[in-house]
Amino acid sequence: MAATSDSGVDIEEYDDVWVFVEQHDGEVASVTWELLSKGRDLADERGEDLVALVMGEDIDETDIPQQCIARGADRVLVADDPVFEPYRSDPYGEQFRHLVETRKPAVALIGGTHTGRDFAGRVAVPTHAGLTADCTELEMEDGRYEMRRPAFGGDALATIICPEHRPQMSTVRPGVFPAAEPDEDRDGEIEDVEVVVDESETMTEVLDREVGDVADITDADVVVAGGMGVEGDFEPLWELAEMLDGEVAATRDAVEEGWIEPARQVGQTGKTVRPKLYIAAGISGAIQHLEGMDDSETVIAINTDPNAPIFDNADYGIVGDLHEVVPELIEYFEEHEEAIPA
Amino acid sequence: MTDGWNIVVCVKQVPDADDVSIDPETGRLNRSDAEAVMNAPDYNAVEAALELRDEVGGTVTALSMGPPNADAVLRVAVGMGADDGVLLSDPAFGGSDTWPTSLALARGAEELDADVVFGGEETTDSSTGQVPPGIAAHNGWAQLTYVEGLEPRPDEGRLVAKRDVEGGYERVAAELPVVVAMGFGENDPRPAGLHRKIYAETDFEPETWTAEDLGVEDEVGLAVSPTQVGGMDTADPVPREQEVLEDTEELAEQIAEVV
Ligand SMILES: Cc1cc2nc3c(=O)[nH]c(=O)nc-3n(C[C@H](O)[C@H](O)[C@H](O)COP(=O)(O)OP(=O)(O)OC[C@H]3O[C@@H](n4cnc5c(N)ncnc54)[C@H](O)[C@@H]3O)c2cc1C
Repeated sequence: MAATSDSGVDIEEYDDVWVFVEQHDGEVASVTWELLSKGRDLADERGEDLVALVMGEDIDETDIPQQCIARGADRVLVADDPVFEPYRSDPYGEQFRHLVETRKPAVALIGGTHTGRDFAGRVAVPTHAGLTADCTELEMEDGRYEMRRPAFGGDALATIICPEHRPQMSTVRPGVFPAAEPDEDRDGEIEDVEVVVDESETMTEVLDREVGDVADITDADVVVAGGMGVEGDFEPLWELAEMLDGEVAATRDAVEEGWIEPARQVGQTGKTVRPKLYIAAGISGAIQHLEGMDDSETVIAINTDPNAPIFDNADYGIVGDLHEVVPELIEYFEEHEEAIPA
Repeated sequence: MTDGWNIVVCVKQVPDADDVSIDPETGRLNRSDAEAVMNAPDYNAVEAALELRDEVGGTVTALSMGPPNADAVLRVAVGMGADDGVLLSDPAFGGSDTWPTSLALARGAEELDADVVFGGEETTDSSTGQVPPGIAAHNGWAQLTYVEGLEPRPDEGRLVAKRDVEGGYERVAAELPVVVAMGFGENDPRPAGLHRKIYAETDFEPETWTAEDLGVEDEVGLAVSPTQVGGMDTADPVPREQEVLEDTEELAEQIAEVV
């Protein structure tokens, strides 16, 4: 195989698997640990290093670089400067571009969060990298790196390859890959890199940022989800979720109604959950919703419409009004406390 | 900037998501009988562009890239109130992934001397969400994605956006020119006015620009696209029990079984 591809990129010069560490105010997004875990496997298969890239202010005063090593990184690159706090696409993109051009990674993984999806395009364009959005599988297949993602609303799975450009970049939604347990005994290198961005060159200014406690539905063993059938009253779902030690989630339409916060949306444009139990109440089962919940072990559907597609995608269902069924379930578990975890 | 802003809104023609099916025999996609429609999130982009024009003055030009018949989506935008429309259409664009697509749109926006370029959050057919940041990156412009609402500040030459971030929101001010990706469902797109609609469908003729007009003929198409589709599999539905129970107690027992 010729070293230089038709694109003029010498792909042999590129190696290592990079993971973008998404942190806001010193708080690392859980998807970062998931990507380090997946990235570790890929790096091993490719016989390369796993490199974590952290940008922010006063990173040295946090234990984020050490955590990255414990989670699998061989090396951590730290770009530390006030220009990186809070996140903005233009300084982050410019710094990443510089690092890609000088260090030439083969693979780069970025969380498919709003921040990650904002940022990824800002990197892929100036470096002429191949960028695949929302991957659900990343594999080495006979020496070839393959990224797979749902297409056509989830009916199909497309395999995307990037034969002649580097890096091969992917965004991955939270919850798609499991995170590995940290190993505090792992060794790794931490390196401060040159900051090439200057505040005077930025085009944006963050005026304010309001972030509450972000619910993490991707980690729950039990998810009680509601859709339009809930008709604005999520209270019984909260009650049931609490009894079952679970989290409440919702469809996009319910989020858009303002009944519940966006962090709890499941689906193609929301989060991927993989609980032991997923209860879908008043949810029709649209393909974009199914995409985020199909990894659940057991699915239970409550719907008034016997023809709702959710029944084809559920293990157990009941045709009925959730405003009756959910309170009945709550009553049952009140009477049978022994049936549920303490 | 007293005479208003040049506002460009990118719209895309997609197969109606409800009509795309998989042929169970061949495993291939049946897109042929799917009706071509405007990408649903683009309605929010057009509405935001029109609202911005109402506030700061100026013009709204709809911009699309696609085959000649994709002019239909420009007519939808003009029907809603856009002043004009431009179609980037050329066989040379065929097979473009997001890199060349955003390049062509970026050059189109430059050609239109855009102050603000709108796009939808993502498309229903490929759902990458990469094109708006790609346009901004190609032109070295600022970008605002997942936007919930806008506050124009013409005297500062800036546009402030409230954008959705995980667990909350932030307000970001960006210098013009800026690319805005509107969050899906964040506003209520206006219906087309009757007279405007008739004009859009009869008298209105969009301009068409080729790759050569934009000076990108060697930088678009399949050959320069960094990503390639290496295969397509039908996603097998997850096997489920599909058991419908008669009463809540049985359902509760099944739940207890799992937790
Ligand atoms: C680009 C794009 C991305 C999208 N991304 C997502 C996504 O990430 N997540 C997502 O969820 N959706 C997404 N959607 C939207 C999706 O297509 C559906 O519109 C949405 O999932 C439907 O939500 P729903 O099931 O709550 O509402 P509906 O489809 O309106 O269903 C409501 C259901 O409740 C039942 N019901 C009504 N009353 C009761 C009652 N009293 N008791 C019991 N059942 C009752 C009805 O029979 C019906 O089946 C996306 C769409 C697009 C175009």
